[in-house]
Amino acid sequence: MSHTHTHGNPGDSHHKAAPMVEEITDYEVLEIAVRELAIEHGLFTAEDHRRFTEWAESIGPAAGSRLVAKAWTDPAFKALALKDGLKACKEIGVDWAEPTGVGTPSDYMEFHLLEDTPTLHHVIVCTLCSCYPRPLLGMSPEWYRTTNYRRRLVRWPRQVLAEFGLILPPEVEVRVEDSNQKCRFMVLPMRPAGTDKWSEEQLAAIVTRDCMIGVALPKPGRTVDVHPIQKARRPVKGSHQEAAQ
Amino acid sequence: MSEDQIALLEVTRNLDKTWETLAPRYGVTNPNPPWKTSLTAMCDCLAVSGALPALDRRRAEDELADSLYSDVPSPERQLLALVHTMVSRGLVSEADLASRMRIVRERLEAV
Repeated sequence: MSHTHTHGNPGDSHHKAAPMVEEITDYEVLEIAVRELAIEHGLFTAEDHRRFTEWAESIGPAAGSRLVAKAWTDPAFKALALKDGLKACKEIGVDWAEPTGVGTPSDYMEFHLLEDTPTLHHVIVCTLCSCYPRPLLGMSPEWYRTTNYRRRLVRWPRQVLAEFGLILPPEVEVRVEDSNQKCRFMVLPMRPAGTDKWSEEQLAAIVTRDCMIGVALPKPGRTVDVHPIQKARRPVKGSHQEAAQ
Repeated sequence: MSEDQIALLEVTRNLDKTWETLAPRYGVTNPNPPWKTSLTAMCDCLAVSGALPALDRRRAEDELADSLYSDVPSPERQLLALVHTMVSRGLVSEADLASRMRIVRERLEAV
């Protein structure tokens, strides 16, 4: 279970296994123990657990990136995606009915794409719990689940976005869309300048998870979500040394 | 939702063994421990079967994350909160869990 391996290119004679944690923690033991008891008590079946595990391992933000890139390059697909999000998802190979045939209890089968414009920026949240478009974006990042993000985004959206390094001009309206038990949302950001002749694959690479949540904007050269640690503009020199004395 | 401590989980809680502490120690770059996906699947299974609805679970997790397990990072906090909720609701007993943990550890450490 904890044995992960990297796979080099075919013919690569320097195949190395990734390092692994060589100890069994009580957390790992606890997860196995409670799962076994739950199955024995009939709370769910081992088969259901296997099916949901496989599904959870198969999802990730790459599907959302593909959807956005295709919407940017194919006007008919974009129109479909804005009108019938579930149907558009199927066209890129994402079926919200998986893995049970009627979706998961955490992914109600109602999905809307929120289109950004030069004067309107969307950002998603779930103030109630942590609803998230998992079939398109995979598991939610930990910060998305925190009460800090959920409570503050709806009250001070610009401040919270600025904490992610996204500072929007005052003329851009910020619309916070609250996910709920019945509907999931994802942001369709604007295609950035300088990408006119890019392929869908190139475009998808700059549509990161954070861009589809709405806490970042896609731009050429930005292909990973890194939350910057902002340097203080006016650091107080020596204050920590003085405090330590 | 009971926020009383559960002795077994207090023993299990060990900040020196959380993934964010342990992984760098071994040079492991995977952001999640090997049991994280299984935990996620377990939450889905409990919701599908109706044994523990997703909203109830998340509410309890929020309460426990703000109180009893506020110092525990995720995903260990999520695991502790889930088990805490299951024990509080009588879905599994603390005694059964303690006994099974001993059995599981013996199995995993068998040579």
